[in-house]
Amino acid sequence: MNELFDNSKTVLDIRDLTVDFISENGITTAVEDLTMSIGEGESVGIVGESGSGKTVTALSILKLLQSPPGIYRDGSILFRSKIFGEVDLLQQSEDSLQKIRGHEISMIFQEPMTSLNPVLSCGDQLVESLTLHKGIKAKEAREMAVDLFRTVQLPRANIIFDSYPHNISGGQKQRVMIAMALACQPQVIIADEPTTALDVTVQANILRLLKNLREDLNSSVLFITHDLGVIAEIADRIIVMYEGRIVEQGTIWDVFSDPKHPYTKGLLACRPRLDLRMKRLPTVSDFMSHDFRIPDEIIGEKEEEKNVDTEDQKYKSVGEAILLNVERKDELIERRLSVIQGGPILTVNGLKKYYPIHKGLFGKHIEEVKAVDGISFEVYPGETIGLVGESGCGKTTLGKLLIRLLEPTAGEIIFEGKNIATLNQGELRGLRKSMQIIFQDPYNSLNPRQTVGDAILEPMKIHGLFRRVDRKDKVFELLYKVGMKESVYNRYPHEFSGGERQRICIARALSLQPRFVILDESVSALDVSVQAQILNLLNQLKKDFGFTYIFISHDLSVVKFMSDRLFVMRNGRFIEMGFSEDIYLRPREEYTQNLIESIPKGDLEDIRKNVLRRRILKTARLIREEIKTKHDE
Amino acid sequence: MIRFILKRLAYGFLVLIGVIIVIFFLFHALPGDPVSMMAGQRTDIATRESIARELGLKEPLHIQFLLYINDLSPLSIHNDNASNREKYGYRKLFRLKKDKVMVIKRPYLRRSFQSNRRVDEILMGNLLNTFWLALAAMILATIIGIFSGIIAAINQNTWLDHLIISVSVLGISIPTFLSAILFAIIFGYYLSDYTGLNLTGQLWETDPIYGRQLHLENIILPAITLGIRPLSIIVQLTRSSMLDVLSKDYIRTAKAKGLSRFLTVYKHALKNALNPVITAVSGWLASLMAGAFFVEYIFDWKGLGFVTIKAVQSLDFPVVMGSTLIVALIFILINIFVDILYAVVDPRIRLTD
Repeated sequence: MNELFDNSKTVLDIRDLTVDFISENGITTAVEDLTMSIGEGESVGIVGESGSGKTVTALSILKLLQSPPGIYRDGSILFRSKIFGEVDLLQQSEDSLQKIRGHEISMIFQEPMTSLNPVLSCGDQLVESLTLHKGIKAKEAREMAVDLFRTVQLPRANIIFDSYPHNISGGQKQRVMIAMALACQPQVIIADEPTTALDVTVQANILRLLKNLREDLNSSVLFITHDLGVIAEIADRIIVMYEGRIVEQGTIWDVFSDPKHPYTKGLLACRPRLDLRMKRLPTVSDFMSHDFRIPDEIIGEKEEEKNVDTEDQKYKSVGEAILLNVERKDELIERRLSVIQGGPILTVNGLKKYYPIHKGLFGKHIEEVKAVDGISFEVYPGETIGLVGESGCGKTTLGKLLIRLLEPTAGEIIFEGKNIATLNQGELRGLRKSMQIIFQDPYNSLNPRQTVGDAILEPMKIHGLFRRVDRKDKVFELLYKVGMKESVYNRYPHEFSGGERQRICIARALSLQPRFVILDESVSALDVSVQAQILNLLNQLKKDFGFTYIFISHDLSVVKFMSDRLFVMRNGRFIEMGFSEDIYLRPREEYTQNLIESIPKGDLEDIRKNVLRRRILKTARLIREEIKTKHDE
Repeated sequence: MIRFILKRLAYGFLVLIGVIIVIFFLFHALPGDPVSMMAGQRTDIATRESIARELGLKEPLHIQFLLYINDLSPLSIHNDNASNREKYGYRKLFRLKKDKVMVIKRPYLRRSFQSNRRVDEILMGNLLNTFWLALAAMILATIIGIFSGIIAAINQNTWLDHLIISVSVLGISIPTFLSAILFAIIFGYYLSDYTGLNLTGQLWETDPIYGRQLHLENIILPAITLGIRPLSIIVQLTRSSMLDVLSKDYIRTAKAKGLSRFLTVYKHALKNALNPVITAVSGWLASLMAGAFFVEYIFDWKGLGFVTIKAVQSLDFPVVMGSTLIVALIFILINIFVDILYAVVDPRIRLTD
């Protein structure tokens, strides 16, 4: 496959890049001896989990790292600039960098919500690049900007031009970001997790757009993500980063069909699959014997040695890991049978939540938003209900209604014989003991000034659980259950990674020994590799304690892995309910079908098709150019 | 937008009513007998009785309150007779009953116990002086404050940053009466020959030869003294708000677009960073109008604070009540103005109508 790029020029050449971060605790190396290159028109993907140094690499190219603390210790980033010729970007002055940024190399950032300036209109933020780099007059720039908005398939481009970022949706914001990046037809576009913060369906659209634009423009793309499935859609070549180093690189076909490094194998295996039902997800640590970062069992002291020993790893190949964990037919039937024994633990009847919209001088009640619109269902003890839908479909509202963090407009919620909708405050407190919710964002749902131990202890104190002397032991037990050491008791949340924090949140929810747990997008903010660990943990805990789960997510693959039954939600209603395997195999609604198709699968057949398609396009373009030059002569 | 403004005005009116209620009952609870104040040396019973009747002191408290509201309201109902016509200076709108008329008039804040002049006339004369002083102080504080705040933020942790912060800490901690006296003595007395400034003086002075003349230099020292504290706070606010904004993702986006440092700060960061500063500026402008007491007293500046202090000393309640009301009104109006200003600076606010 490589011959495609052998004769093309290299646009960007990073050699021995080493980036350090200096803090009070000493020097941390974020990127070490990184060497890679991007050819003209080539699309390179960097995969790695948070902290692997992939974003630092991307920011280094434009010298956008905050310095201090970031320091470029060693190496060079060679760029074939049209203005300056071949230059080392790290040696350039701020002035000449300003001419390259946004003009010859542009960047798309991860968070479209925060990456656009809230007080400037979308159009202004785009026109700015055009007037700055191309010296185009404001009036012409406006026309060009509107054209660009059309190119990125924004609806009503003229109106979007004058809209402020808060007026448009997340997907639209990302399209504006892409339009900004394309504005000056740069040679290199760096896309740093451009779809991570978006819904799967929106992600699929944005990926399709990026793919098409890339083929039209012939720009080089450096695409950064933690999700191998996403990269399979867009990249020609993959670089896998781990702990600041490149552990594997090759064409997309080679890496997917025959991954060499155990970490790559782990990444490939740990994605929840849509086609097969797994009992347990293989994790990266199953492939790496000395994963010093997060061992599956106990998070211990950091080991200094990074050697990857192939002797005592659990699985040798991706296929082996998957086959050993697949659920057999008889196990599936047994699981389903065990679920429907006994009466329901929770019955919901005609549940509604309407938000009135007030208009007029005296706040007259004009109409309402139907967030949850007459939903009825039953949950049986010990089962996991999956709740899936796009953002804004009302799934989070439903989750909050169930434990009455929100007041329902109408309907009843009967939990173990009591109607939650009519309980008074005192009775509600009793209920909170048996029903718990774990939220999406492990960063904001822990109080930064409270130690981990106190956070887990507090609910027990409030509800007067256990004798005072026993509580601390109980906390240790919970920490052990979620795979953390006793020594974390006196530490603060900021010392932990996202996955570790989510473990703490889980331990806190478990401290009251609930029977019913609602998981609201609890793994959505996590890397796929960490996500697999948390999902396994949740399943293990369910087995140990006999929990009933409601698992809410926008990602159908995760929901399918977790749940026995699946509810697809749209506009406040359930549009499809059933066993998750059945829904996946035979989706009735187009909406569900769309959700399933939007998930980047990263299977080999798709990759083969993509690679072939790109090769044909490339050849076609070469022929076109040849004809054109001949014609010109 | 118009609905937004109307709504804010309606809320402002409710707040004003609340303030009137509090002021009225508060001053009723205070010691001091208005009749003796008014009567002065003439202490015969008949005069006292007539004064008490004139002030409505014979009525029960709630009637007195209604009368007070009736006096304040520009639209009010009065007995149509010569003495009332002279007292309120109203214009008749229409007749209600045979001797009651609905009238439109300037709010009547009653008369000073001391001079028997209309309170609104006393206050209005001085209000303008205070307004100019507060405005001058605020403009000084805002311009220098925002500018040095930005300078400190973009030079974070350099000697310049440290210098600006140290000076502003000094400015916050120095008591106004101390800085007022220091400024007055140093620049208005010892260095008077070089600066050409006087210890005290008014904006308009009447000269025996040339008549009424504008003396802009007289406002310099009081304005600087008054502006020191808001200036220091604006410096610190701008700095921290700017630092916060500069670490935001959209600033990184702006840099990635190739914008120069100046454009990044000026176009992308400043507008975002100014919100907390606007609140501070407006809050300070309002409290400067009310709280220039020390400065006005020391520089002998004939402003609202000056009159109010004099009135407090002589237990002249109508004047004190009147100035409290006016200060409240200024606060309310400035807050409404700021809400509108927010909506202009930050488009997100218009959503939450």
